[in-house]
Amino acid sequence: MSAEIGEATGVAREAKFTSALILTVFWVLPIALLVMSAFKTPIEFSSTSTLALPQSFHLFDNIARAWAKGMASGFVNSAIYGVVASVISVILAAMAAYGIVRLRIPQGMFWFLLIYSGTIFPFQMYLIPLFNLYLDTGLYDTRIGIIAFYVAITIPFCMFVMRGFFLTVSWQIQEAAALDGANSWATFWRIMMPMARAPLILLVLIQFTWIWNDLLFGLVLTKSESVRPIMVALAGMQGVYGASDGPSVIAATLVGSAPTLILFLALQRYFVRGLTLGMGER
Amino acid sequence: MTATLDHGAAPLVRRAASRPLKQLVVPYLYVLPAALFVAAFLLYPMVLTAWRSLTHFDGISDPTFAGLDNFRDLFADPHFLLSLRNTVIWTVAAVVFPVTLGLVFALAFSRVRWGGFFKTVIYLPATISAAAAGILFSFVFNYDNGILNMILRGIGLSGLASRWLFDVPTNTFAMIATYTWQQTGLNMMLFLVGLQGLPPEPIEAAKIEGCTGWNLVRRIILPMLMPYVVITTLLAIVNGFKVFDLIWVMTQGGPGRASETLAVTMYREGFILFKQGYSAAIAVVISIVALAFSYFYLRSVLEQEARQ
Repeated sequence: MSAEIGEATGVAREAKFTSALILTVFWVLPIALLVMSAFKTPIEFSSTSTLALPQSFHLFDNIARAWAKGMASGFVNSAIYGVVASVISVILAAMAAYGIVRLRIPQGMFWFLLIYSGTIFPFQMYLIPLFNLYLDTGLYDTRIGIIAFYVAITIPFCMFVMRGFFLTVSWQIQEAAALDGANSWATFWRIMMPMARAPLILLVLIQFTWIWNDLLFGLVLTKSESVRPIMVALAGMQGVYGASDGPSVIAATLVGSAPTLILFLALQRYFVRGLTLGMGER
Repeated sequence: MTATLDHGAAPLVRRAASRPLKQLVVPYLYVLPAALFVAAFLLYPMVLTAWRSLTHFDGISDPTFAGLDNFRDLFADPHFLLSLRNTVIWTVAAVVFPVTLGLVFALAFSRVRWGGFFKTVIYLPATISAAAAGILFSFVFNYDNGILNMILRGIGLSGLASRWLFDVPTNTFAMIATYTWQQTGLNMMLFLVGLQGLPPEPIEAAKIEGCTGWNLVRRIILPMLMPYVVITTLLAIVNGFKVFDLIWVMTQGGPGRASETLAVTMYREGFILFKQGYSAAIAVVISIVALAFSYFYLRSVLEQEARQ
């Protein structure tokens, strides 16, 4: 079992429990107090103490105002980007891993390193030429454009994980499928992908979260309200309304953070496994 | 078991010789789509950045070759040097606070009542975006009615109430505090994985000999946990060195350009001032440092995996 640090005596155990409780309360306190502001009207927010309990319930009004001020499109866009890009990415990455590991493409190590090298460099290394490339090709400020980029940036890690998975799959299964006359495509979709369901779902979750939380590439590759992702929309709202309408910006940020938070809570067990899988990268 | 391990060469190499053309082409159909995406959207821009860093380029007129001019200019540019200094502060702080606290929390929450609940709560900030955390904490740090100043005034410490996001260097520390709030949970999880993997025997033996509490942690647990400390620290360095989102939403590198880090300076030079060659040179500097630490990080991870 895990290492036991505390002493077995009751007093020590209680002291440890109490200090853990205090630490945790301290950790959530700033946000817990901030949540109260999301319930207030802008006037109440600016005229009363932020520590005062809300006098009214305006959470939904605040959300509605934020929704109308440009949050709606950001929320919908990021939902589309997150789902579409992560699914495409995971499929392409699984195909590549299958080609490298199971179909033994010649110079497999070269292809592995070629794809994996996409995750080694800091993002700053892509930004400027990517922006110019997008301007030149008309991909700038389009949904297709940003989805294509999100697919590309998430492929290396997915390929790395799927390669690890395909290395563990028994070869007899593939031989048997071949004897049954299944071609590589049928083997991939009917045998390999169903077996890989757990890592595939995990990867979609990790990449959806990453795409949802991205600010930098949204800033660089999009401009208009109808295309920009959620985090760019929130940052923009904070810049424009942060001073005049704090409650709606706070409410919007809380709502905009909810999807990834809920995903984590619902699928915690898988996430923690994923953390050790990539040792926290991404 | 041996059959699966022995999948290697023998039977399939023999078959490869007699593979029809179609068989030779098929693997490429699987690998090429992913490879093309990576090559077009990541590798090609990366090579261009390396090349652009050697040119004067404003994004419009043709780039002219400049040799190492950009790099020489960088180290004579007060904005860059300040940004570099801020980045060093960020990197050191990103190691000291989130990693140390992550370790403390991991030790505090193992084998305690409600431990699972505590761990989840501390990890939650890591599930939201850095941008969202930055927006929320810019309200916490607001001068007029921010929660922090309200509490300070409320307990009679008005003198400590500050313009947290406008004063230099206070704003960098306010942002580091936010970063710490967000990253500690991630480090805690990594340490918890490490703690779970520790062999129980040496710990039990030490306890029988009367070694408990802080002594037990310092003499027995920490030395055994050392590989995880190294891995977590290196990861924290790589991440701390590249921070952008949080700074962008909290100060935009301001006031003026006083709280910029290299990632923010690179963005400003390239996308606001349109000095693309110069900006590319900053990107190259960031990459060289990040790659060096990534190398040590990956080596430690692989060593740790080999040990298990």
